[in-house]
Amino acid sequence: MEGRRYLLVCRNIDCRGRGSDELMAAIKKGLDERGVEDIEVKEYMCFGACHEAPNIVLHPSRHWYAAVKPGDVKAILDHLCGGPAVERLMNKIDPTHREFIFQLLDAGLF
Amino acid sequence: MDTILFPARQSTAKESLAAYRGRGGYEALSAIVDAQAPARVIEEVQAAGLRGRGGAAFPTGTKLELTAKAQAEQKFVVANGGEDEPGSFKDRILMEHHPHLILEGVTLCALAVGATKGYLYVNRTYAAAQASLAAAMQEAAGKAYLGRGILGSAFSFELELFRAPTPYVAGEDTAALEVLEGKDPVPREKPPYPVQAGLFGKPTLVSNIETMANIPRIVLRGAAWFRGFGTAQSPGTMIFCLGEEVRRPGAYELPLGTPLRQLIDGCGGGLRDGKAIKAILPGGPSTAFLPATCLDTPLDHQAMRDAGSILGCGVMELIPVGRCMLEEALKHAGFFAAESCGACPACRMETSTFQTLLRQIKEGKGTPMLLDQFDKVAAFNRGKGRCSLIAMAAAPVLSAVRHFRGDFEHHLAHGTCPPG
Repeated sequence: MEGRRYLLVCRNIDCRGRGSDELMAAIKKGLDERGVEDIEVKEYMCFGACHEAPNIVLHPSRHWYAAVKPGDVKAILDHLCGGPAVERLMNKIDPTHREFIFQLLDAGLF
Repeated sequence: MDTILFPARQSTAKESLAAYRGRGGYEALSAIVDAQAPARVIEEVQAAGLRGRGGAAFPTGTKLELTAKAQAEQKFVVANGGEDEPGSFKDRILMEHHPHLILEGVTLCALAVGATKGYLYVNRTYAAAQASLAAAMQEAAGKAYLGRGILGSAFSFELELFRAPTPYVAGEDTAALEVLEGKDPVPREKPPYPVQAGLFGKPTLVSNIETMANIPRIVLRGAAWFRGFGTAQSPGTMIFCLGEEVRRPGAYELPLGTPLRQLIDGCGGGLRDGKAIKAILPGGPSTAFLPATCLDTPLDHQAMRDAGSILGCGVMELIPVGRCMLEEALKHAGFFAAESCGACPACRMETSTFQTLLRQIKEGKGTPMLLDQFDKVAAFNRGKGRCSLIAMAAAPVLSAVRHFRGDFEHHLAHGTCPPG
């Protein structure tokens, strides 16, 4: 859908083990409370970056938030509502790896 | 036709001890015990150039030698009859019909590596094979081919029949060791390899049933005789399984190097419905599809590799013209996604991504860019994980996209299979 934004939460072993389910629920709740409707929060099979779990990727804006903690949810919500990107969670993943995943998403795999 | 494993006159009945002895059965064991020359087993197998028949084609002589050289007060031998590859039944046929051939092979292996205890790791659904082996074990023990003081020597070998679970990974050698230790079938990190630290941390020879069945014949008749079958690089024979898609399904033992077409048409009688072949999966679900242009490829390790696939465990799947290769790829992707044990994140990532990609393409959801993602996903995960399931899952999917791209493009454009 044109203009639609996606927040994709990795649900493979390591990400779930480090709280991706809880993060996803907290982000969904926060978006509801703020009345944001143009973002779809979806689980993703895997971004292959277990070493920096849990991982969240914004599509199509190509923001990759790694090693996200519950305390980061507010900053992520702020970003989704027009605030600045959360720099401290970015650039933790190798650029080639990021590009591989971004291309998968651009190709429509999500 | 001359064979190594099956007797000249094949029957579907269990080969009795007398019949097996009638074709030289237990003479190899007797000769090795009499001469007190267990090293000769390894020498002959090395000279014969036997390679594993379970799928990986590892040189058996090397495995025997490494286990023999390992220093330990106890060693084990495991005959792997897990046979979890869908469509494969060659090990079942060997165990059911020729149990003494297996027992002599396992015992010779134990003698060669210095193991005093062994396990027959047999697929739990193979009731007839278990019964046949159990009866043969009693007969063999009664004749001192097995047990304490084999044939009056100081050599003892205790063999146990184990009913193996059936998940796909349970047939992987280190997963089998986990199961024998009473744990879940999850592959181990390697190294150490089983020959170094296997069952209960002791050096262990894990070998496929068909591989072990070759050993009494090699020791009895000699490496030169064995090399009279097959090619210089792929000596011996291999048992190939043909399924219900051909007119004469069965397990056929053929010299390596036999053209694929001879197996399919000569032995199998061609496809049952008379249709032409579109694709061949030559070695089980973990191998790469070949197009019909490869029908004259010799069934040997190098020729198959050159053609872009492998012999695997020799179970053939034949796809008739008119079948959609996206559906075939999806079937195999689904199999590996379900059979991935989940221990390694990369394996889950690859298998689930393949499945999702294929489902989207099937529905016609997405752009042709999706077709270029398979190779990238496989490259990203290559070499990761504890076992080879990651490589196995990639082979049928990548080859289907490579050789039959038109079927995938049709799905993307129309959301349906191409017209037959």
